[in-house]
Amino acid sequence: MQLSLTVRGSNADVVSYLIAKNPNNPYERDEKGFKVRLVYPKFSKEEIQFVIYVKPDPIDLVRNSSDLYDITHYINDREFAVSSLFITTIRKALGTALNGKPDEEYLEWVGHEFEIELSFGPVATDLSDKEIADLFEPIGYRVEVERGVSTIREVSSARYVTLSGRQSVQNALKHISILIPVIDNYKHYFLDEREVEKLDRYGEGWLEDHPLKQLIVKRALRFNALISQSQFYEKKQRNSGYDESPKVRLNDLRYEHILNYIKTLPEKETIVDLGAGEGRLSVQLGFLEGAKEILSIEPSNKSRIRAIERFQQVNTNEGYVEPQSLSGSLFYFDSRLQNKDVIVLCEVIEHIEEDRLPKIFDTILNDYCPKTLIVTTPNQEYNVLYEMDDEMRHDDHRFEWTRAQFVQNVESWTEQTPYQVSIQGIGEEHEAYGHPTQMAIFRREGE
Amino acid sequence: MTTIHLPHGGIVLLVGPSNTGKTTLLNQLIQEEQILASEVVSSDQFRVLVSDIEFISWNGRPKDESEALFQEYQQISSAAFDAMDYVISKRCQLNKLTFIDATHLREEEHDKYLEMGKKYHIPVIAMVLNISETELLRRDMERTFPRGRNRIKQQYQHFKNTLRFIKKKPYRRVYMLGEDELQVLNVKRLEHPLYIDVENGIDFIGDIHGCFEEFLEILIKLGYKEDDEGYYIHPEGRKILSLGDVLSRGPRSIQTLQFFHKHVTAGHAYMIDSNHGWKIARWLDGKNVKLAHGDENVAAEFEEYEQKYGSEANQVLKEQIKELLLEAKSHYIIQKNGVNAVVAVHAGIKDHYIGKQSHQISDFCRYGDSEGLDEYGKPIRKDWSISHKSSELILWGHDPKPQPLLVNNTLNIDQGVVFGGSLTAYRYPERQFVSVIAKQDYANVPDNPLKEWERKRLAPPNIMKFLDGYSVLTEQYGEIMIYDDGVKPALDDLSHYTVPLEEIVYLPPTMSPTPKTSRLEGYLEHPMEAFDYYQANGVETMVVEKKHMGSRGILFLFRNKDIAKEYIGRETLGTIYTRTGRAFFQKELQDQIVSVLNEDLVKSGYFEKYNTDFVLLDAEILPWNLKAKDLILNQYAHVGETALLDRKKLKDLLQQAFESGRDVLNWIQEVDAGIENAEVFNEVYQKYCWETEGLNGIQIAPFHTLAHSSETFFDKPHTWHMEKNKEFSEISRLFLETEYLIVQDEASMKGAIDWWEEITEDGHEGFVVKPVSYVTRHRGKLLQPAIKVRGRKYLHIIYGIDYLLPDNLSRLKKRNAGKKQRNALKEFSLGVEAVNRFVKRESLERVHECVLGILALEAEPIDPRL
Repeated sequence: MQLSLTVRGSNADVVSYLIAKNPNNPYERDEKGFKVRLVYPKFSKEEIQFVIYVKPDPIDLVRNSSDLYDITHYINDREFAVSSLFITTIRKALGTALNGKPDEEYLEWVGHEFEIELSFGPVATDLSDKEIADLFEPIGYRVEVERGVSTIREVSSARYVTLSGRQSVQNALKHISILIPVIDNYKHYFLDEREVEKLDRYGEGWLEDHPLKQLIVKRALRFNALISQSQFYEKKQRNSGYDESPKVRLNDLRYEHILNYIKTLPEKETIVDLGAGEGRLSVQLGFLEGAKEILSIEPSNKSRIRAIERFQQVNTNEGYVEPQSLSGSLFYFDSRLQNKDVIVLCEVIEHIEEDRLPKIFDTILNDYCPKTLIVTTPNQEYNVLYEMDDEMRHDDHRFEWTRAQFVQNVESWTEQTPYQVSIQGIGEEHEAYGHPTQMAIFRREGE
Repeated sequence: MTTIHLPHGGIVLLVGPSNTGKTTLLNQLIQEEQILASEVVSSDQFRVLVSDIEFISWNGRPKDESEALFQEYQQISSAAFDAMDYVISKRCQLNKLTFIDATHLREEEHDKYLEMGKKYHIPVIAMVLNISETELLRRDMERTFPRGRNRIKQQYQHFKNTLRFIKKKPYRRVYMLGEDELQVLNVKRLEHPLYIDVENGIDFIGDIHGCFEEFLEILIKLGYKEDDEGYYIHPEGRKILSLGDVLSRGPRSIQTLQFFHKHVTAGHAYMIDSNHGWKIARWLDGKNVKLAHGDENVAAEFEEYEQKYGSEANQVLKEQIKELLLEAKSHYIIQKNGVNAVVAVHAGIKDHYIGKQSHQISDFCRYGDSEGLDEYGKPIRKDWSISHKSSELILWGHDPKPQPLLVNNTLNIDQGVVFGGSLTAYRYPERQFVSVIAKQDYANVPDNPLKEWERKRLAPPNIMKFLDGYSVLTEQYGEIMIYDDGVKPALDDLSHYTVPLEEIVYLPPTMSPTPKTSRLEGYLEHPMEAFDYYQANGVETMVVEKKHMGSRGILFLFRNKDIAKEYIGRETLGTIYTRTGRAFFQKELQDQIVSVLNEDLVKSGYFEKYNTDFVLLDAEILPWNLKAKDLILNQYAHVGETALLDRKKLKDLLQQAFESGRDVLNWIQEVDAGIENAEVFNEVYQKYCWETEGLNGIQIAPFHTLAHSSETFFDKPHTWHMEKNKEFSEISRLFLETEYLIVQDEASMKGAIDWWEEITEDGHEGFVVKPVSYVTRHRGKLLQPAIKVRGRKYLHIIYGIDYLLPDNLSRLKKRNAGKKQRNALKEFSLGVEAVNRFVKRESLERVHECVLGILALEAEPIDPRL
């Protein structure tokens, strides 16, 4: 990780006073175990160039992190790419210039705009070259992005950025102090209020009118709680319809439909939400009149933690039965699920390989024996009405069935079982393609 | 002449007042070497042991003194009895014979020892010395410490009472010995009825259930020949031992029983007591029993017999059979060179029952551990086998399993011949199985246990067994604890990402690098340390195999689609999955590969040649980028390119500064070295990547042939596995041959090191050192199944671009591979266990608990660079 600044023109040599570094002596300091080095490859009255670089200790760098047990933790670009770590580490060495506090006799040069060329890199970023240029061009730079060499692919992901233009040294350093971490994908340290203060201080005088201000604030502070504290934060009055994709609406419709159906059932005291994910449906089942026990079954721990939070947040409301989140899986036998009133599989089966379903339904219908089983799944025919890039509605869908396929499968699962099945549709109906979601209701005969 | 029969182990209570001659009698028996001195305990002896005092006399003392002395004596006696009873109970536990030399005149003393006998399942015998009062008084006068007239008279009164109650006590035997009997006493020690010496070998036979035809067939197969008198005799003098239930359910119970009556009587065979046998024995004994579960067939056979041969002959036969069945022992202990080797029992046994006899033990051995009845009135069987700890192999039958089932050093050899399964014989000490397939399903019951087993084999595992953590009992490692911390992420994986549970019958273990880092400068790992490890653990021959840099893959390839359904419940030609149980290839590519492999294997006649329905292979699949493309591009290529760009840019700038006269020579040298390291790094990962198109470019190196449908190959040396590797490489062009060397002396070791240097300098990952045996132990301790030794260049992509800088290397050398090694052993044992269970057609749940355990162990935090 390195940064070099070239200044051309008369009085270029003043820069050595602005950064308070003797051009004759290579500079080296230890900064929290990292080496910070600075030297002037060129130094004359008309043209000076200094380079500052940081040499972290690669072994030290990988200690004390939460992802110690992942190989990518040990082989990564943090040792090389410019980042907030780089900015933090060089700040002291360049403090005089950044703060604009050179010896008094050079104070007048602090604001002086030189013809400069500032290079830094390598950068590791998800931004395109164009997006990088968009960050610097509005504040008066020409931007050039250079790529590293790759022998395994056409374009290397390693990039090196050179900015040129007329800037004061202080401003140039302020710009990159904010924008290098914004470009970088990664934060090496914990973000807190001091970040807000830093952003406000170094952003002063240029960020206010930057067209990408919101993007910069967002990428610099990451968390909403911090972003909203920044003086550069602007509350956006977003069009509320924007977020409400048809998919989200369909989700709610589905829950509503399922709840309404369960309400009509005579027996609904014990309900199982099988494959409950983050518990969105379970929590609504908790408010269903007559429900006494909701089991929210989900194999993913991450999802279960979110579900439990969700269940507890509404804990105080009246008429609420808090669902119990249990670790469970459709591929195992689970005695806790036997003889319940209702089992719901809401948008679950399409995440399972088709040929594994018969065994699962055998277990549910013959071992768990719910009085009612509700299964929803997408109607593949309806997909033509969505403008989809992919074949299926979700990356993880292993299949999406037409209405006929669904009926055929449901019939094969219920053969030789005491269940009667009826099929319904959920969502806006199309005369040729039916409903976006199809729902099968299995009722145990005589109950 | 009275003969006293002494059991092998038990309590012999001598009963009689002082001066009856108990001690004299016992001393005489010791002198005649009929019993051992250590078999006798006496209250006198223990009084001395605990207090140094044998006897206290309080006769003729003033009242206060005599009371004090009496109290002291009571105290000493009480302590002496406690100590004595403790010793007796320990001897009972160990099934030893103990004579108790004390007066035993009080009823509670009798009850105490009878209770002890019951507790330890050993017989209690009483020897009553019945001497007249006059004689006792006379003898007392002659003693060194006379007990005194009053005390003798008092004791005699108690004794007369004892004679009354003793008859009602549940003694195995009571010997009444008067003065005359004591003159000429004959003592006979009974041999231990449960011990058998293995002699020329024993053939254990599982439940026959009247399948006489199959039984004779197996005898012929075992090498028995019928002689002129109708005896089946083995030319080597081997004997037959039936694990019971030779009768009921099947077609020819009487003939089978007659066979055993004849052969047991002649000493050619043994037969163990069993539930059906006991039922028929009691029926023959005139007890009121209800004949069901196939026992009614036996009664019918007797009726038929009576019609054919008359009631007299039938009566004779019934007597003979009754005797045979009533005499049958609960179990036998087979000794080899005087050491217990095998316990043969019908339904089960607890370790502390072994070698003992009681009603309770007999019941347990007949029925096993039963935990009440299920909803259909069938007994819920508890698993007694899990608590078996002692070293004997327990052979049992009773509960039909499709294959001989070895669990925790217990072996079930009832393969349900009467249910259409097979009859199994286990040859000991050869430890070989011989089996005969049933001619038909004779029992013809709706709940056929073999079909039931098969039907339930692939039932979904019970998740409640795993959720809170559990343990797996493995043959190789013993009990392995699996904690819930690991189970939860593993269940998550198995619920979202892996191939179906039925298809994951094995997962490969993690592999440890050299336990110690290299002693050489400039090396983190070196083959020497791997060789050191094995040599220090007594391994003389090692196999070193080139480590292909690809991704681990398990290939489960079936003979045809239909056959797969029988094994994994799904029609498929096969499946290929990763070390975490996920599909290795996208579906279309997998189908292509599997069908090509199937074609090649079928064409070469592989399945016919080895008479197998499938082959299970553990392999490395190349190239690396097949599985790791994202990792390579986003991680390795990105990092390598970034490093190189950084350093090259810096080099230019520093060079300029140097030329401008700045003193940065050191910095330049540093960055030069850095550029070189980055270039090595970039070269290394690219070595393992190449373009593939369809099947072109894909290579599969199967280095372990794990199993065929009827056997596993963990007993084969790695040289065998390498020969198989070669065989496969000749069968299909997709299979890649693996280079290997055998290391067994200085020269071959040096050769191996040179080879390692050569290939790793060329950028290859390195090699794997294995002990020649697949499973290797040293002083009982399981050794690492393999140790990887990775090359200097390769390790750049593991430990970082600059890991070889002396300052970095010295710190990296402090790594600790202890936990990695422990987990490697556990995962290895679980993997072996899983395949063994699968091939024995155990339930999915039993196989899956091993697989889930491996995934759970893999979820534990361990330095991924090891």
